[in-house]
Amino acid sequence: MKAPRDPAALARVGGLLLATVVLWPLAVIGEFRPWVLFEAQNLRVMGGFLGGFLPPASGGEFLAYLGQATIETLAMASAGIALAFVVAVPLAVATTQALSISRLGPGPGRRRGELLRAGLRILLVVLRGIPELVWALLFVRVLGLGPAAGVLALGLTYGGMLAKVYAEILESGDQRPARALLEAGGSRLQALCYGLLPGVAQELTSYTVYRWECAVRASVVMGFVGAGGLGQLMDQSMKMLNGGEAASILLTFLALVLAADALSAFFRRQLGEAGTAGHAAALGPLPLAILASLGGAVLASFAWLDLGLGALLSRAAAASIADFFASFWPLDLSAGWLWKVGQGALETLAISVLGTLLATVCALLLALPASGRHGALLEQATRFVLNALRSVPELVWATLMALAAGLGPFAGILALALHTSGVLGRLFAEALQNAPATPRDALLEAGTPAGVAFLYGSLPTVTPQLLAYALYRWEMNIRMAAILGFVGAGGLGQLLYVELSLFHQAQASTVIAAMLLLSVAVDAASASLRRRLG
Amino acid sequence: MFRFSRRLALKGALVCALAISVVPSATAAEPVLRVSAIPDEAPTELQRKFAPLGKYLEKELAMKVSFVPVSDYAAVVEALASDKLDLAWLGGFTFVQASIRTRGAATPLVQRAEDARFTSKFITADDNIKTLADTRGKVFAFGSPSSTSGHLMPRYFLIQGGINADKDFKNVAFSGAHDATVAFVAAGKADAGVLNASVWEKLVDQNKVDPKVRVIATTPPYFDYNWTVRGGLDPELVRKIAAAFLKLDPANPEHAEILALQRASRFIPTSKENYQGIEQAAKAAGLLK
Amino acid sequence: MIRLRDVSLTHADGFVALRGLTLAAQPGEQIAIVGPSGAGKTSLLRLLGAAMRPTTGQLDVLDADPWSLSTADLRRLRARIGVAHQAPPLPARQRVVTAVLAGRLGRWPWWKSVASLAYPLDIAGAAAALAQLDLGERIFDRCDRLSGGQLQRVGVARVLYQQAQLLLADEPVSALDPALAQQTVRVLTADAAARGATLVASLHAVDLALACFPRVVGIRDGRIAFDRPAAKVDRALLRRLYASEGGQLPGLAEVPPAASAQRLLRPAVGGEAARADSCWR
Ligand SMILES: Nc1ncnc2c1ncn2[C@@H]1O[C@H](COP(=O)(O)OP(=O)(O)OP(=O)(O)O)[C@@H](O)[C@H]1O
Ligand SMILES: [Mg+2]
Repeated sequence: MKAPRDPAALARVGGLLLATVVLWPLAVIGEFRPWVLFEAQNLRVMGGFLGGFLPPASGGEFLAYLGQATIETLAMASAGIALAFVVAVPLAVATTQALSISRLGPGPGRRRGELLRAGLRILLVVLRGIPELVWALLFVRVLGLGPAAGVLALGLTYGGMLAKVYAEILESGDQRPARALLEAGGSRLQALCYGLLPGVAQELTSYTVYRWECAVRASVVMGFVGAGGLGQLMDQSMKMLNGGEAASILLTFLALVLAADALSAFFRRQLGEAGTAGHAAALGPLPLAILASLGGAVLASFAWLDLGLGALLSRAAAASIADFFASFWPLDLSAGWLWKVGQGALETLAISVLGTLLATVCALLLALPASGRHGALLEQATRFVLNALRSVPELVWATLMALAAGLGPFAGILALALHTSGVLGRLFAEALQNAPATPRDALLEAGTPAGVAFLYGSLPTVTPQLLAYALYRWEMNIRMAAILGFVGAGGLGQLLYVELSLFHQAQASTVIAAMLLLSVAVDAASASLRRRLG
Repeated sequence: MFRFSRRLALKGALVCALAISVVPSATAAEPVLRVSAIPDEAPTELQRKFAPLGKYLEKELAMKVSFVPVSDYAAVVEALASDKLDLAWLGGFTFVQASIRTRGAATPLVQRAEDARFTSKFITADDNIKTLADTRGKVFAFGSPSSTSGHLMPRYFLIQGGINADKDFKNVAFSGAHDATVAFVAAGKADAGVLNASVWEKLVDQNKVDPKVRVIATTPPYFDYNWTVRGGLDPELVRKIAAAFLKLDPANPEHAEILALQRASRFIPTSKENYQGIEQAAKAAGLLK
Repeated sequence: MIRLRDVSLTHADGFVALRGLTLAAQPGEQIAIVGPSGAGKTSLLRLLGAAMRPTTGQLDVLDADPWSLSTADLRRLRARIGVAHQAPPLPARQRVVTAVLAGRLGRWPWWKSVASLAYPLDIAGAAAALAQLDLGERIFDRCDRLSGGQLQRVGVARVLYQQAQLLLADEPVSALDPALAQQTVRVLTADAAARGATLVASLHAVDLALACFPRVVGIRDGRIAFDRPAAKVDRALLRRLYASEGGQLPGLAEVPPAASAQRLLRPAVGGEAARADSCWR
């Protein structure tokens, strides 16, 4: 009998060709040259710097700075989230379909409602699409250096994110009660409070707490553009190549991020239990206590930071801010500049794609031991490695990688890959643990080597989920890749940093627009790829 | 009275500026002279340099002087333009930027005698780099993008020597500060770099330079740093500030300490016209549009 | 070949699934295992497949004590044992061809296993195994596009492709209609006979066991109730074995006649069904 040919072969070869055609130029643009890591020069630089790590700086004066910077970072995150909350709630209520009065039926305000919602949606895209660090950089210029810029930057970007997710959560809940209230002539606020909130309050709170955890990580790097906190200390230590100080700061990052992680997980578990215990409608006493303490923390943060955001409301300040932002218009669209920005955008794209790909592979390799298939000891050890990778922000990895791999986009690729490996590795390990074990066990019981049994028995089941995670991460990484240039890791970031330093606002706004376009395009590409996975 | 700390460095200009308008306190009513400097060296170093000068100004002007440390050149310009600073130590190029930003309101008062003939040093730690031409295809480190002696003038003189920084280097790095440039080059993070001669000589004097690092070229002289006041400051106060600087006398031991820290033999008056050369160089180098 | 002496199995939770079992099989022998649900059939097959370790007693499989072997030797031993499962453990998104080829992963070098993921390296072999089970056209379909019965036959095709010396089948046809069930069991017995491999199959349908296997072992409450040639198994014995399940004996007749009739009417399998009749006593 003549064996049939595999009908999928052609598609696979085509896919492979396509991947090569796409990835090869990206690898060239991203200067993807792993062997430079082993060049004598780079080994010496990195070795010298790492040698300085021991002992970590522990002078009394330095530790005092470190402590202060840590508190400032935490306060910045808490105040930023509080501000984001204030920004997000009205936007979410205004944009969510769940509270749309005009959707009830044709009425006089229908078109206006649709238009307003569309406009606000675009605003949300802009808020989210411009990386928080770029906002911070802009605010540092208007407000002067210090945490106020970081708080505002967090407030805006996270406000955009929270608003989008809040709106989605509101839409995912049971909408009938709210609909009934609206139809009975109730206001949006009434419909929200009595119709929607009872069902989704717990999920909303849980997501907000989770975002706070992310904000801690984000505010750690705010200092790289002069917005105070640990990042500023790190920036100074890295610029002076002071290994001992860098080591102490890195250890502090690790402790801080892990603590925030644990705290956020604890809060969310408490909220979750309260939810399942039937308190979903009215939060129980413990979650209420948690919320109260969060509120207290936010107040304390504002007090500590002493931001004086109120002064922003003065007429002169408002005018100078308006002036500043007005100077960004119009964009520089001259051919020469567009060409340069285009090159930067390609480089940023290359960094994000290659960084995410590399991270996906590393994460898979790390997820195997982390999912506990090679014993408890290895599981704990790899989990610690994953946590360490994840708790060091990309920007900090980039400063380190600029030493290991030289300045340029490859350092950015490595930085993204390292941080993302930590994030994805943890998610992958969870996915592997939740995957059905029988197919793989059956293969093992038929004498298949463990690695092959994984490839044939586990991987097919989890692949779509792993790819979906990787694609989600790519959406985040394109925003990150855009700013890695602040520390010399290529892409649009360096262009932006230089142009802003030189007060070339028109050129800078072209770069920002490119960042925005790039992140919107990647979001769309990732969403369509994820749909095809289904 | 001074309060120097990294705490302030971390909190920055805003807190100080707003402390006056927002936080009601006893000190709010007293006039304060808010002074800052472009962060061309590590922030701790800036504070050390300023301490005795600040005390001297406080005495001469009979008013409080507060120093606001910052870590970004452009932020100093913005702060001057939005009246959050009264007096600032600016580089030649930052002064030009401030002058444009404030539509000519920012006024340069004095400069060090040395600033009238300032130079930059090109350095390397690579044995294969002997002349400027050898830096083609290498990683090159400037200081801050807004720095006169760490970026603008070296870039300008490189162009005149036939090297276009945007095209002829493998990669351009901005270390952020002059001493950081030396660290970049010493560690090999950059193959070559450039910094201002004054900081270079100080680091050499203090034995803080890795012996591998050597100078391969020096730029022709140009005008650099000055002390600038914002527009709208009381003319009487402006006059007193200028006088205080000009009065500093190297023969007076107390003054000598201040001058030594500022790396100045003495201060001389300066004017906007001195910086037209820089403005033209910035235009020629494409840094000013 | 196979030798169990006084073997018992206690599960992790303390439940005793097998007590003092003694059983032996010669190379090439074909044995059916019957017994009520929970009797310990699956447990016994898992012992024979070296997937579980007996709590007490002596176990030899393919003339070796699996649990005294090194890890590598145990793996090699397992590669010589093929198991068809009641619910075939196949990843939903895997293609049929890959699922079948996976039968030989224990013998392939790792690079071949990896390469075969990119392009199936033995399409002819997989196609031949599937063709015996009337699944030839589905070779490039994804497993989650198959029915339960088709999936079960893919599991059988994998064992056929493995060419194991010991074939273990745990209710391999429970999801098939009577005609197809017979055909499938017949393919298994014929394959084992052709290669001189030993076959041990637990079967839900007693009549099928009696029709296709020369030797039948009845298990109840973890003990061997009887072990005799099929010809010597009578209704009384079976009634005692299934005592708690009421009067009726489990068998193919439970399937609604209409379904089997339909299957018999289909030309594609008509011939197979006719031939299957020959092993029906
Ligand atoms: N992993 C386990 N842990 C504890 N008890 C188990 C385990 N697996 C099986 N048992 C118990 O052992 C006994 C025998 O189970 P086994 O699966 O061998 O039965 P079986 O004869 O195959 O039944 P069926 O015909 O329903 O498949 C049952 O009572 C079952 O509950
Ligand atoms: Mg069973």
